Amino acid sequence: MGIDVAHYHGWQGELESPWWSCLALVRVAILQVLRRRVYWFVLALGMLNFLIFWSIIYATTQLPIPPEARGELLDRFAFSTQPDIAKDSGYVKFMEGQSLIVMILLAFSGSLLVGADFRTRALPFYLSRRIDRAHYIVGKLLAVSSLIALLTSLPALLLFVEYGMFTSSFDYWIDNWEIAVSILSYGLVLCVVLSIWIVTLSAYLQTIAPIAITWSCLFVLLSGMANAIRRTTDNRYWELLDPWRDIRYVGRLIFGGFEREMDRELAIWAAWIVGGICVACLALLVRRVRAVDVVE
Amino acid sequence: MPLLDIHHVSRNFGRVQALRDVTIVLEPGAIGLVGNNGAGKSTLLKVLLGLLKPDAGNGTILDCDIRHNSRALRGRVGYMPEAAAVVSMLKGVEFVTLSGDLYGMPHGDARRRAHEVLNYVGLGELRYRRLEEYSAGNLQRLKLAAALVHDPQLLLLDEPTNGLDPAGRMAMLRLIEDLIAETGKSVILCTHLLSDVEQLCEQLVVLHRGTVVQSGPMAVLRAQTANRYEIGWDGDSAAMLAALKARGHVVIAQPEENRAVVTTRNGWEVRDFFLLARAAGATITHLRPEEEDLEQLFFRVTSASNSETVTQSN
Repeated sequence: MGIDVAHYHGWQGELESPWWSCLALVRVAILQVLRRRVYWFVLALGMLNFLIFWSIIYATTQLPIPPEARGELLDRFAFSTQPDIAKDSGYVKFMEGQSLIVMILLAFSGSLLVGADFRTRALPFYLSRRIDRAHYIVGKLLAVSSLIALLTSLPALLLFVEYGMFTSSFDYWIDNWEIAVSILSYGLVLCVVLSIWIVTLSAYLQTIAPIAITWSCLFVLLSGMANAIRRTTDNRYWELLDPWRDIRYVGRLIFGGFEREMDRELAIWAAWIVGGICVACLALLVRRVRAVDVVE
Repeated sequence: MPLLDIHHVSRNFGRVQALRDVTIVLEPGAIGLVGNNGAGKSTLLKVLLGLLKPDAGNGTILDCDIRHNSRALRGRVGYMPEAAAVVSMLKGVEFVTLSGDLYGMPHGDARRRAHEVLNYVGLGELRYRRLEEYSAGNLQRLKLAAALVHDPQLLLLDEPTNGLDPAGRMAMLRLIEDLIAETGKSVILCTHLLSDVEQLCEQLVVLHRGTVVQSGPMAVLRAQTANRYEIGWDGDSAAMLAALKARGHVVIAQPEENRAVVTTRNGWEVRDFFLLARAAGATITHLRPEEEDLEQLFFRVTSASNSETVTQSN
């Protein structure tokens, strides 16, 4: 029997924990991003990089090429399927390469996923449901994190799986399980740090142009300044002015491999800086996410 | 059990006192919350929803404490915000499903229910359109559907007819009217359009500068002016007016037209006018109770509040 659409029907059911609503925010965010063509372009760029690495693995493992040529190919792309002396594998390099695309994606998607909620005054809509601002913030962070993971740790894990599959045994996965853990850990750092930064920035700046400009300044201008000052002063601590390098240092701290003791020291400082900025951003975000506009 | 029972609620935003000592007790039904812009209507709604904690005072809605039980309360209340509040790139049915998800409904139920309520509000045909393609009237209907999705006991509608053309406004009011009649849900209609309240509501709360200047059933509030009459007569005007004044009534006379507006003393009945006229040698030709519409009521209570404020400051 069909539903009688002309009349109102009640609903009887149990309401679930508001934490499940965070998943709804993630699902909707991914839907929003996938419905914009410009994001498909950025995602395609990410996919292109992935396909290059995929092809390298395929070529070096499946095609009958001499070992010297194989080594040359791997060197050219700075890729190694084993953790090297610095416990740094090609997968991490791949993730670092992907990060540029992540930066572009986030610069554009911050406005869509977060800024728009403030522009259209949609916060009362969200917060008048059964979620509180903690759920809203976690939901948005998870949404952005899922985009980051989609471009970094997920394809890196696929490459790891691919290489293992071509060895015709489980040995590669068993012997190098730390790589998988490293990929996940570094991916987690990228997700947590970048999502907190972009969500906070978008909550305050809201529109795409200021977000993209500020985001670029953070990762390009500061990076340039850090390099210039470091060269002038010959003091490596100035490297810490570059937030992107700070994140990479934290990643390497997780992988546990440093060629020099100085790098380890810098990585610890970088962890403090990144953590401090994240805490400050979260405090600002909590302050910003409110259901009320004060009108005098 | 009253629907809403709040006492001495105050809320400040810095130096701005948005609500001052608000006390309201209202029974279930359709309630109009009216006031000028900046009177504190939206702030009161947000306090009622638990989105804002009051600085002072307490109370309950649907037996849920507004201070400590706001999440349970929001599970039983549907809120339609004033602002556009749309999530871009979504289709109508996805937006209402999201609303259900955020209320905590299981996703399958939320999706099924979204289709039902969209049909109910008359957006069945448009449910797969993007929100950006909705007209203002349809957007208001969509927000109503999003507020209804979890089948709440109480609906808080913040300016539901704002920005609509006359036809859209009438359609929206008819929809809310049908909803009240069919489901028996309680509705708090927050608006500055008094005619909307007049059409839909049985109870009224008038907010002015953050304070409640009048609240209660509409009929009772209007009855406060039930002792005013407009009368006309044939005969000696001076004698008629003298007789009216002699009985202690307040008379605003138009002697050359044999007419007057009379505010009677308590206990005076309509037939007493005829007895009085016969004694004064006149015949009543016109007698009409002077009814106060909502607009007059609103201006009376808000201007009384203004003069009280002036007196207090003096």
